[in-house]
Amino acid sequence: MSNKRKFKDLFLQLITYGSAFFSLIILSLIIGYVMSRGFKLLNMDLITNNYKAINYIAEVDEAEDLCNCPADQDYPEGVFYSEKWGVALSDEVNLLGKIEVTVYDVHEDSPLRDMVNKGISEEPLSLGVNFAIVRIAYPDRPSSLSRYGSMQMILELNEATSIRELEFTTSGGGIRGSIITTFYLIGLTLVMALPIGIGSAMYLNEYAKNNGFTRFIRSMIETLTGVPSIIYGLMGLAIFVPIIVSLTDATGANLISGAMTLTVILLPVIIRTTEESLKVVPDDYRFASLALGASKTQTTFKVVLPNAIPGILTATLLAIGRIIGESAALVFAVGTVIKDEVSLTGQSTSLAVHIWSMMSDEPANIDLSTTIALIILVIVLSLNVIIKFLTRSYMKRYGVNQ
Amino acid sequence: MQQISYKKNKIAWMDVTVKQILRIFAYLSGSFIFIITGVILVKGLIPFVTNNNGIGRVPLVPFLTGDTWLIGDTFASNLYSVGFIIVQTIYVVFLSLFISFPVGVLTALFIAKIAPKKLAEGLRTVVEMLASIPSIIYGLFGAGVILKLVYDFSATLGYQSKGGSSVLSSVIILALMTIPTITTVSEVAIRSVDPQLTQASLALGASPTQTHFKVVLSAAKSGIFTSAILGVGRALGEATAISLVAGGRRAGLSFHLLDTTSTLTTTMLEGMKESAGIDYDIRFSVGIVLMIVILLTNFILNTIKKKVGHVHVK
Repeated sequence: MSNKRKFKDLFLQLITYGSAFFSLIILSLIIGYVMSRGFKLLNMDLITNNYKAINYIAEVDEAEDLCNCPADQDYPEGVFYSEKWGVALSDEVNLLGKIEVTVYDVHEDSPLRDMVNKGISEEPLSLGVNFAIVRIAYPDRPSSLSRYGSMQMILELNEATSIRELEFTTSGGGIRGSIITTFYLIGLTLVMALPIGIGSAMYLNEYAKNNGFTRFIRSMIETLTGVPSIIYGLMGLAIFVPIIVSLTDATGANLISGAMTLTVILLPVIIRTTEESLKVVPDDYRFASLALGASKTQTTFKVVLPNAIPGILTATLLAIGRIIGESAALVFAVGTVIKDEVSLTGQSTSLAVHIWSMMSDEPANIDLSTTIALIILVIVLSLNVIIKFLTRSYMKRYGVNQ
Repeated sequence: MQQISYKKNKIAWMDVTVKQILRIFAYLSGSFIFIITGVILVKGLIPFVTNNNGIGRVPLVPFLTGDTWLIGDTFASNLYSVGFIIVQTIYVVFLSLFISFPVGVLTALFIAKIAPKKLAEGLRTVVEMLASIPSIIYGLFGAGVILKLVYDFSATLGYQSKGGSSVLSSVIILALMTIPTITTVSEVAIRSVDPQLTQASLALGASPTQTHFKVVLSAAKSGIFTSAILGVGRALGEATAISLVAGGRRAGLSFHLLDTTSTLTTTMLEGMKESAGIDYDIRFSVGIVLMIVILLTNFILNTIKKKVGHVHVK
């Protein structure tokens, strides 16, 4: 072989090897990025908290006495306790990455558990753990501000005998609402998509004659896979949203229309996966069942369908993965308003749309976004592994090689 | 006897009902594609045929050829032109194909022909995982990492880019997203090349590398081309990821790599707050344009595929 030939071969080999490991590099970059930035905020508070922090200005009830209660536990370093008011404060980094004076603990007899809202509504307010204190104003002295830190605030609290007003913020930055929305979407969509999808697959595979019209239906369903999800979103906005608006008290895009849109997106996936699993059920089973006197319906539902369960399970998992990752269609069909109180007829965001909504805002909240992305990534990748495992064991069962 | 025939009738009735119900489901699933096209066509034509609450009809020819997209109440104009957006979309998508196509095909070649079995299995899993990552996470990765890199790069060139939002960032993100599609489809094509062809080539004294590039790849040409078509399809329809890195260009065609850009999908995602009026309806018109662009591109690429020729693949 000539030297020139060798060089050329070597060069081609090198670029092939390079390209092959490019995918690996991208995957590790994406996972690495999401992990390194997302882990910081990942904790239980994130999952249980509301997204919106609500700001309250409260007045301490005049009738309440000062607490003067000694600490009932040993506080760690950095936490400061005021016996007079029965409250322990510390400096903490919140979910948005800012340092705040945070309530560490409130004593049972503390007057701060019993306050009056100075705003429009007259609801009683209570200081809770993890709330951030913005400002405490006194009738006769300068206010304590959160920027001087918790130690200074406790010192000033101890000197004061009464509080004129106390401004605090409930803990926010959580994704509870989006998690609930995502669960609703998964549930509603599966309830609609599975019967229609499995039914269609059963009709096409078990009942339909193999004629031109059946092939036409099948190719029309196949065509759906090529439609970009943003087009599905437009369809949801144009058909499903008006339908739901006219039937319920919804006023715009809502969860139900979103689930209906997702149903259409998932149909081709569910139909194809189910049909493939119906196909590998041996014909002998059908003949044996029919020969024993079972009707067609009994054969289909009691013999064929149970044997296709693993395939249907695969379809369901694929569907869940797709629902969790879907964003473009949901932006149109469910809206982009991040909500804490989720209702079926209102706008809200799934986890993926939550990311989009925050990222397209100014300034983008990248920290919280990567944390949500981490959650999505873990779910989607583990679903992927489970599907692979399921398919493999299923194929083995019927002795089909992939 | 009476009893049996009654039971038989009941079973027959049941069979027929179940069959009809399942048939309705199947026909419903098959009809959605028509519902989608129909609805978007009807909604998308509204801005062209009605008065749009006094703004006036959107003229069709400027819509398709102009280079200004004046959205919003402040302008209250009927100047909506997707002409430059169509060109920008195709430009971005084909540039991304320049990266993703060679990388994807060579990865497929490596997995199918070169790598040892275990490594191939591992890489295949990697590609599958990449394919299953939702597009919003690619978008986040783009906004968090690629934008900064592009911004620094443009700063070293002394070019002021809009925080890195540019043609280049969009191209990179689209390329990353289409690589898995191209790899998966090409790999199947490459694997199904008749081993006799490879053996013949090797027996004639060609080196393995020569065989891979000259025999295997050209034998799998048709399948590889299909992978490119699917990749372009995915890139054209991609929305949320690219909307985070494109920058949202409103006017003026620009092919500069560091200028902001707009694609048909990002244009549709803009102005999500409207729920009526022309800014709402015009999105459906853009939807029609997007569908036509996708169909035309598919058609043209398929024609080229036929022209390029079809080597027999087992």
